[in-house]
Amino acid sequence: MKMMKRRKLPGFIFFQTFLRSFVLQGSWNFERLQGLGALYVMMPALNHYFQGSDRLAACKRHLGYFNTHPFMATSVLGTAIHQEGELAAGSAANDNFQDYRQMVMAPYTAMGDAMFWGGLRPLAAGIALFFALGTSAWAPVVFLLVFNLPHFWYRWNGLSQGCRKGFDSIELVQKKHLPDLAVRLKEGTVILLGGLSAYLMYAELGQKNLSPLWAFACLPAIYLLGWLARKGVSTLLLVWVVVAVATMTIEIIF
Amino acid sequence: MPWLEILLAGMVAMLTGLDRTALLQVMISRPIVAAPLTGLILGDLQSGLAIGLMTELLWLTRIPVGAAIPPDDTQIAVGATTLVIVFGPLWGYAGPGLLILALLIAMPLGKAGQWLDHLARSQNGRLQKRAEQILATGDYAQVERLHWQGVGHFAFASLITYLVIVTAGAVALYFLAPVFLSMLQDHSGWLRLVFPLSGIAVILSSMNISRTLTLFGASFTTAILMLWLA
Repeated sequence: MKMMKRRKLPGFIFFQTFLRSFVLQGSWNFERLQGLGALYVMMPALNHYFQGSDRLAACKRHLGYFNTHPFMATSVLGTAIHQEGELAAGSAANDNFQDYRQMVMAPYTAMGDAMFWGGLRPLAAGIALFFALGTSAWAPVVFLLVFNLPHFWYRWNGLSQGCRKGFDSIELVQKKHLPDLAVRLKEGTVILLGGLSAYLMYAELGQKNLSPLWAFACLPAIYLLGWLARKGVSTLLLVWVVVAVATMTIEIIF
Repeated sequence: MPWLEILLAGMVAMLTGLDRTALLQVMISRPIVAAPLTGLILGDLQSGLAIGLMTELLWLTRIPVGAAIPPDDTQIAVGATTLVIVFGPLWGYAGPGLLILALLIAMPLGKAGQWLDHLARSQNGRLQKRAEQILATGDYAQVERLHWQGVGHFAFASLITYLVIVTAGAVALYFLAPVFLSMLQDHSGWLRLVFPLSGIAVILSSMNISRTLTLFGASFTTAILMLWLA
């Protein structure tokens, strides 16, 4: 096979791909999940590298099953773009990429879910709720900033490193120790939520001129609700039952 | 009927609803953002903030996994805020108890969002198949349009969910407020705590880290003692 020099991806196509990554899940479906979205994101890069029947073949390669965390997807798709560039230059590396994609999608999903949905989002929400308690209009802004700064950083760097380094872009995940970071974030969230619960109780007890020590009564209640939630009781049912029980209890006590 | 307000809130519902899955995912769909945004548009930011605070933590750690789709807390927040700001004054009700009642009404109606989201994703399955057929003809622009049609399905699902919550919620509010509002009003201070504290309990139950309860208890105790001694 004739080998050519790999064509560099122009900046505007990179930026177009980055913007398109925000619509990756636009056509999410139960059959191929993000499959059509993945092709949509890659289309400008594929148009750049291929023409005619090669372009059609390239598009078909990326219209299959695709499923990973939407923020981590830029890393996988960036790597795909890099490999397509190699392929366009005459290097037959496509088989390797299909294996790579199959290999990283599930772990990236698990890491992304733990890091962004399980770690960062509750932490950002906890911080924002402190602002909301003071009826500050900044609460939503704080939430968006705390969540989106790391989100945008990862989305951009995932695509950038994927496009530049190809398979080696996996270093981004390794270097940042994302699974460890996710655990630290979750621990931080638990501590923050402890403080938030305490503040909520303290403020309400203060308004009712009651001793702050009564706040400790809510601790076993929270543990009980958590246990019930773990046993599969729905949030809706929990809230309804607690509102009913709380209303009756307060009516009796006060 | 304040149609303009309902329409404006509907636009917010659609935009924030898209952010849940289809578009951006910058978290404007979270209740702590979507409810204040609705409040701001409808002229009562504080009610939106209060609804956002109460709703934010309830389903925070629920994420769509396969066919399991969590309740649509975005539309619950937007819908409850609309009920409070638009329908509260219309039916002659106000106050913190109204926030609680609106949310208690909107919460089960959010189930409609689960069903409609599922429907949108099923419809998108057809788009995928059509895209595979059309790609073979080399019509790349049409393939891209099919992808955006999927975004349209999600937008439609969000809008209908919002309308279900607001329509059924307004009727429920009309009939339930005379019965429950005064009781909820009397104890609104305590009852407003039920929402974030239940949300915190649910989050703790889903945190797969060791020492969760110890960390939470230690943090809670330290905070209470510090606030007490300060």
